[in-house]
Amino acid sequence: MTAAFTVVEPVMGTVASITVVSERTERVERAIAACVARLRDDERVFSTYRDDSDISRLRDEGLELGDVDPRVAEVAADCRDLRERSGGRFDAHWRGWFDPTGYVKGWSTDAATRAFDELLADGEVEAVGVNVGGDMRLRTAATSDHVWRIGIAHPTHEGELLATVEVVDGAVATSGTSERGAHLVDPRTGVHLAGPVSATVIADDLTTADAWATVAAIAGIDDLDWMPVAPVASGIVWEHGRTRRFAGRVEVSAFHDALVG
Amino acid sequence: MKKIVYALMATVTGLVLLFSYRTSTVPESTSALADAPSSDVATVPKTTPSPSASASSGSSSTSSGSSSAQTSSSGLTDGAFTGQAANTRFGPVQVQITVSGGAITDVQVPQYPSESGRDQQINSRALPVLVKETVQAQSAEVDMVSGATYTSTGYRTSLQSALDQARA
Repeated sequence: MTAAFTVVEPVMGTVASITVVSERTERVERAIAACVARLRDDERVFSTYRDDSDISRLRDEGLELGDVDPRVAEVAADCRDLRERSGGRFDAHWRGWFDPTGYVKGWSTDAATRAFDELLADGEVEAVGVNVGGDMRLRTAATSDHVWRIGIAHPTHEGELLATVEVVDGAVATSGTSERGAHLVDPRTGVHLAGPVSATVIADDLTTADAWATVAAIAGIDDLDWMPVAPVASGIVWEHGRTRRFAGRVEVSAFHDALVG
Repeated sequence: MKKIVYALMATVTGLVLLFSYRTSTVPESTSALADAPSSDVATVPKTTPSPSASASSGSSSTSSGSSSAQTSSSGLTDGAFTGQAANTRFGPVQVQITVSGGAITDVQVPQYPSESGRDQQINSRALPVLVKETVQAQSAEVDMVSGATYTSTGYRTSLQSALDQARA
């Protein structure tokens, strides 16, 4: 099998690790550059840390959605839909203004990864994985038997894994509290989650996985009511040492624990 | 043969518990299955032991116990055992258990409900497989690590950073 190489680029206040299973050709380098450029351009539009971003101007200058970059309206529609389907567990308006930060990273990563569409279609790239700050979109050419083996970081034991999962083409996202101060706020109450809690979701694309991982983490381990309506493949929720796993809208941890116990 | 029967019973129990769990939200039809005694093979799918490799393309990480046929005091034979697909309100559900050192180390659902043909591809994937506490990331041979979002500074000490340095 072809060897893999990884390119690391700072973006969106975190780091994008792009791993490509292919020869390092000029065409591949151009796709990597296009991928990073898309991430950075979405950051320019959506960053709440920049006063001149479309999101900040929407908030500060009283602009309408029609006055700013069309990507904002697209994301706003997605967020409204997600708020409804998640029963308010996800809400980009919880601060009183539109802040889609919890949604944009996954959505942007999916879009950026399309830079590899042609290379995957003609087989020049066997597989590509784009990991932005711990959430990743994984693609594999139809002609390849490559399988991505993904580790899920243990939420409290630094350097250790909680679980592994194998993905051919899809996405893995994890939301939760961490020692380095990742914040999670329940939009229904405005309360910061104390944690430690961690939720990982596997879905077809990262837009979906990232959004529902946030929903799962906010909901916590005792609330899987959202799971039957979520368009996700599988996942794991961890809280205070307890785990629950689900796949295809069925929880499996329950009888697993019963059998082992 | 007796060992296999134990394994069958374990799988059957797994299926029954699965149905039991679901009955909290499902009325009539499925609860009939949950109420069935585990010895009633007419309502509980039969189980055939099979090599794990054929059951799920994504389950290779759990198949280590299947090569050696050992039995411990628990009476469970090491290996992977796959139940036949059972129909639930949510579609067909098929359960696979992996027994290692006499203990059930993993339960997977190689086949589970889907609404569209497109879901079928992702459905062939395994669940997240729990790692034993002592396993370090470095020895788990993973390609990437998913975790709560790190900052640019946090990245430097992250597992992903270690992997990236090895492949730069």
